[in-house]
Amino acid sequence: MSILTVRGLGKRFGGLAAVDDLSFDVSQGEILAIIGPNGAGKTTTLNLISGLLSPTAGSLGFKGKEIGRLTPEQRCRLGLGRAFQVVQPFPEMTVAENVLVGALFGKAGVSDAQARRLSRAALERTGLLRVRDTAAEDLTLLQEKRLEIARALATQPDVLLLDEVMAGLRPNEARQAVELVRSVRDSGITIIFIEHVMPVVRDLADRVIVMDHGQKIAEGSYREVTGDPQVVEAYLGPDDEIDSPEDARNAGV
Amino acid sequence: MDLSLLLQGIVSGVLASGLYALVSVGLALAIGVIGIINFAHGEFFMIGAFLAYQLFVSFGADPVLSLFFVAPGLFLIGAVIYRSSIQYVLKAPELNQMLLTFGIGIILQNLALVIWGGDPVSISNVPYRSVGWQIAGVSVGAVPLFSFLISLVIVGGLYYVLLRTRLGRAMRAVAQNRTGASLVGLEVNRIYLIAFALSAALAGLGGVMIAVIQSPTPTVGFAFTLKAFAIVVLAGLGNIRGIVWASLAVALSESLVATLVPDGDVLRNAVFFAIIFIVLIARSRRVA
Amino acid sequence: MTSNRRSTERRPALQVPFDLIAVAAAATLLYFVPELLKLVFDKASVSYLSLVTNALTLAILALSWDILARTGQLSLAHAAFFGAGAYATAILGKLTGWPLWLGIPFGGVVAVVLALLLGSVTLRLRGIYFAIATLAFTEVLRAVVQQLPTAIAGGSAGINISPLFRPTFVPGEMDRWEIAFTRNEHYFLVYAGILLFTILISIYLQRSRLRSAFTAIRTNEEVAAVMGVYPAGHKLLAFALSSLVVGFLGAVQAHRIGSVSPDSTFGIGTTVFALVTPIFGGLYTTLGPIIGAGVLAGVEETLKRTFQEGYLIGYGLVLVLSILFMPRGILGVINGLVKRLRGEGPPADPDHELPGERDSE
Repeated sequence: MSILTVRGLGKRFGGLAAVDDLSFDVSQGEILAIIGPNGAGKTTTLNLISGLLSPTAGSLGFKGKEIGRLTPEQRCRLGLGRAFQVVQPFPEMTVAENVLVGALFGKAGVSDAQARRLSRAALERTGLLRVRDTAAEDLTLLQEKRLEIARALATQPDVLLLDEVMAGLRPNEARQAVELVRSVRDSGITIIFIEHVMPVVRDLADRVIVMDHGQKIAEGSYREVTGDPQVVEAYLGPDDEIDSPEDARNAGV
Repeated sequence: MDLSLLLQGIVSGVLASGLYALVSVGLALAIGVIGIINFAHGEFFMIGAFLAYQLFVSFGADPVLSLFFVAPGLFLIGAVIYRSSIQYVLKAPELNQMLLTFGIGIILQNLALVIWGGDPVSISNVPYRSVGWQIAGVSVGAVPLFSFLISLVIVGGLYYVLLRTRLGRAMRAVAQNRTGASLVGLEVNRIYLIAFALSAALAGLGGVMIAVIQSPTPTVGFAFTLKAFAIVVLAGLGNIRGIVWASLAVALSESLVATLVPDGDVLRNAVFFAIIFIVLIARSRRVA
Repeated sequence: MTSNRRSTERRPALQVPFDLIAVAAAATLLYFVPELLKLVFDKASVSYLSLVTNALTLAILALSWDILARTGQLSLAHAAFFGAGAYATAILGKLTGWPLWLGIPFGGVVAVVLALLLGSVTLRLRGIYFAIATLAFTEVLRAVVQQLPTAIAGGSAGINISPLFRPTFVPGEMDRWEIAFTRNEHYFLVYAGILLFTILISIYLQRSRLRSAFTAIRTNEEVAAVMGVYPAGHKLLAFALSSLVVGFLGAVQAHRIGSVSPDSTFGIGTTVFALVTPIFGGLYTTLGPIIGAGVLAGVEETLKRTFQEGYLIGYGLVLVLSILFMPRGILGVINGLVKRLRGEGPPADPDHELPGERDSE
């Protein structure tokens, strides 16, 4: 059963089409990866889904409802959670206070006591319980990324949008993060994530969508899309000798 | 409607825009390059006016000559203020900057009140003050005309500096990339200093002109601070080029309302701010 | 090492509301201030009463501005709401024979209506853009009031209005200073009432989940929205609460001064002091703006008496030095001292309530 349906989604900035006629479905409980070169429109897509941008074309269905015209907070309350690429904690608040915002407001009708339970659970799950009274601006990068996820989890999402949560992490840190994302999915939350680190995509994704110039150019399993010549070309441009996105990554693209 | 009245409104508006541009471009420099919300900007303008007045009273100095003394004078004042206070709040929240510069403004304004008193002063005894021409039923005063031309030359000169010189390139680099540019820390602080001092000097030059055009009091500064802010915001923060057009737009509408609407002179201010308000709201609704 | 895990989810059943006790104590104290002044200063008490009255009005302005600023809205429209309240009561008094005191709630309501209008069109403006738009709104409102038919708003000359209180004086029974004192005493109590009302609003905002929402919106509105916070609603709520008390204040002030006019009633000074005081005292707190108001009113009066002409130079210097040496305001300095005395304890934050997660470690 698909929980999120994207149909003909488009976003133009002036003359530039950042996202163009994009369609895909996300099934309940799956992990979907969106990959593609820089400027392909991946983050714009997440912004359109979470409501930070309003689409210039197309429709967005979430749990059977059309959400294309709803505000970000309405979408959050319906069950869309979001972690940002550039970590954006509320710097004046402690870790616990940051998470509490999501718990208090993520769903309608949450009492203060429930919210504290929710945020404690989110902190526990993301391993932040020990640093909960630390000021958010004093965290390490890994902790900040965990905080991004904890805040989103505290809103009790059905679908979690993750934007490059592995970027900048060391390999062992990335492994921990992969475990975290998996455990989140195992608790029944559907995940859409943007990622540049290809091994992470390989390990996590049930399905992969490849974007280039705002359009979907391939869709399928990790193996399928990385073998697709169109995908290889999108990553490297024609006439290049490296032959997979993974190599491209290693080559510093 | 009387056509010559309309023409008169347009001509007066265009001529008035030069002064607005001169004062606002200085503020835009402070905001754009240094990122400082300077609520004392209008006081530099006021001090320029009173320095010119003092030079005139003490030495009989012609205001045109005074331009060459007032500009370096305010450059120096700006540099001193930057070194003694502004440089310490560069990274502070904008509210802190507002309070600091507002305090500086109070100091400057009240110093002026102590020195020159609260009455309006004017440089009235210059021969060209009453000179003017009638062209096709439109009267053009020598003072507004030349202050417009001088403003144009100065603003043009600033644009040239920003676009063509090493200093200008450095300023634009600093403006665009605060963190990256701060790798060469000392250099950045010097550029900020120059930009702030230059911004004060530009306002001071405008002040010299107002002392001939009108009869300012030491409290004239804050009103110009607000107007300059409004113009800078209308042009868009960081858009130094847009200052000229924003100044022209508000000066024209002010002047047209003042000449065409009966009792329009009282509405001058209201029109100025109504335009700013409407443009800001309209622009905010267009994005996203 | 196991951290102390005693039930952290529930709040302790009995929590001492120190802030409310402090407010009650302050209220009682304020009630007796006029009599105390009279007792201690005798004749000179008139000027001391006006000093504390000024401090009260400044505190109302500052705290109400701070409430709005907690949502990140740096308003330069306080003079507009103040003027709206003042003109509302003046026009009501002029056109109807209704009891004068009705003008105060009416002033508050008019200010709120204007604030909601302004707030709803400026929702998308940030920082300095928002500030300039609200300033422009004030100037336009001033012109509109000036252009209203003279029969209603009195044009540029404005309107004269009657005082709220007419204490009866028996000739020969009271000295002149006593008459002046009695007149002002009543106003003092009204201002004290408005300030208490504002303080209660502020404390409620700081204790409830609204504090989280306001802070989140102030620091990053987009992220707050994605986490389910409703920025538009919260921003308008702050606007309404803030303008309500400023509307009250404007109405009372109009009666005390005895007239309204476009230039004086909508003067930029109101806006500027509303903004300067909370920064000076300590932003985004209940106590900071109030301390700031008390200190600034005292500083101004002292300078005025010491230097007379040009005393404002000293006032400006105080502002400049304060921002250079106490960037977090007076309250920031106090908190720093408390922290040092406790030996690096948690930051003392009198308004801190949520989350009740903090263990004793």
